[in-house]
Amino acid sequence: MSRIVVVTSGKGGVGKTTTSAAFATGLALKGYKTAVIDFDVGLRNLDLIMGCERRVVYDFINVISGEANIKQALIKDKRSDNLFILPASQTRDKDALTQEGVEQVLKDLTDDGFDFIICDSPAGIERGAALAMHFADDAVIVTNPEVSSVRDSDRILGLLQSRTRKAERGESIREHLLITRYSPARVASGDMLAMEDILEILAVPLIGVIPESGSVLQASNSGVPVIIDKESTAGQAYDDFVRRFLGETVPHRFLEVEKKGLFKRLFGG
Amino acid sequence: MKKQVFDLKGEMSLLTVLVLHSTDRHAISASLEEKQQQASQFLARSPIIIDCQLLGESGLELNFAELKMSLGKVGFVPVGLRNLVEAAEPSAIEAGWALLRPSKQQVSQNPPPPTEVNLELEQPSSVQRLLVLDRPVRSGQQVYCPHGDIVVLQHTSAGSELLAGGSVHVYGALRGRVLAGVQGDTQARIFCERLEAELIAIAGRYRLLDDIESNLKGQAVMIYLDQEKLKIVPI
Repeated sequence: MSRIVVVTSGKGGVGKTTTSAAFATGLALKGYKTAVIDFDVGLRNLDLIMGCERRVVYDFINVISGEANIKQALIKDKRSDNLFILPASQTRDKDALTQEGVEQVLKDLTDDGFDFIICDSPAGIERGAALAMHFADDAVIVTNPEVSSVRDSDRILGLLQSRTRKAERGESIREHLLITRYSPARVASGDMLAMEDILEILAVPLIGVIPESGSVLQASNSGVPVIIDKESTAGQAYDDFVRRFLGETVPHRFLEVEKKGLFKRLFGG
Repeated sequence: MKKQVFDLKGEMSLLTVLVLHSTDRHAISASLEEKQQQASQFLARSPIIIDCQLLGESGLELNFAELKMSLGKVGFVPVGLRNLVEAAEPSAIEAGWALLRPSKQQVSQNPPPPTEVNLELEQPSSVQRLLVLDRPVRSGQQVYCPHGDIVVLQHTSAGSELLAGGSVHVYGALRGRVLAGVQGDTQARIFCERLEAELIAIAGRYRLLDDIESNLKGQAVMIYLDQEKLKIVPI
């Protein structure tokens, strides 16, 4: 049985697609057969971040409308044999997504023996976002340390508890909070909400804190999921997040302002 | 000197709003009767507003006298019509309907418009006296217990709304809007472990937390109605 995980946030630009790409890649590199689906119909992005935009032939909507089968549309990742990407359509609009269609695609992937199916949700609370979360077993809620992002995440948490198949059956989705673009220095100076404040407002178990890092933008632009970059703090934090998701106990890192060592203080750094 | 026999006041009350999708009188009375069978006590004697916005020009085709009758038959007390196309207004008035101003035209000093309650959401088979929620009430969620108390074992979020016919208890931070005694019960009270609400109301008397003495914010408090005034006291 596949485990279906939605990566969602409500607000746009907080790092859902970056997270989906890193998450799916991390799971695949740990040996799990993983599919990642871009639900942002009309604003295709995931393929760019995964670096497979030139290999898109068929997309999610083609599969839903029966113009292609799932095997034709899945793009195998260059870096891992376990990872497959189902891109969104850039030309169709979101009305082409139907609940029955989404259910069928998820069923096909389950029958195909996928361990994890990651659903990269679009921003907002409209159709695309609603369908991305509908069949999920788990939700990763991506939040920036900023009041409007936290408010939107709260709204999404409400929808996860009321509008999903699990909720309709009286069960509940497992919720995981992932804070991204966290800058301890700006928290210390009071510009940014602290992790504790976000947890206080949202009251959801924390699964990871990804520090603000230039390597995220660099990774996106070069089409390499940031988790591949073992040097960067963001890459390491994403790796911790994946391990926690798989049940390991990993302490949180990158929460404190980095102290400059004696060497750096003497010679600058 | 003449003794004053009444006060005339503008007040906020919670009303059920029926949003008409069709002017077909048979279809309307049929669905009303169906609703009544599902939730007769819920509807009993509740005042109701009819919203005609979705009808547009076709509002002219409504038979207003008959609409009033079918509502009365299932136990509603019709209060008035709103968002009715202008050309249909004379016949509505003739049938004895009040016309309500569309909510958006209300000036800001006026009380907020009545909260709309979606009939689809609430179909209790018997009157619910108590609603206990063991999860946080999130932004955008509305919880309505028309004839009982609401108890929340967690916090409520900014942008959420609790509406209770009776009292409200929140064992955590209260951050959203909270309206107790929405059917007019002036004995209803609000209790919370940490007061951070945006708006509090009991039996239609409301206050924004902005106006409230800041030393009570973040405190465990009880809110009750003393004559006409909302009183907030630490507990």
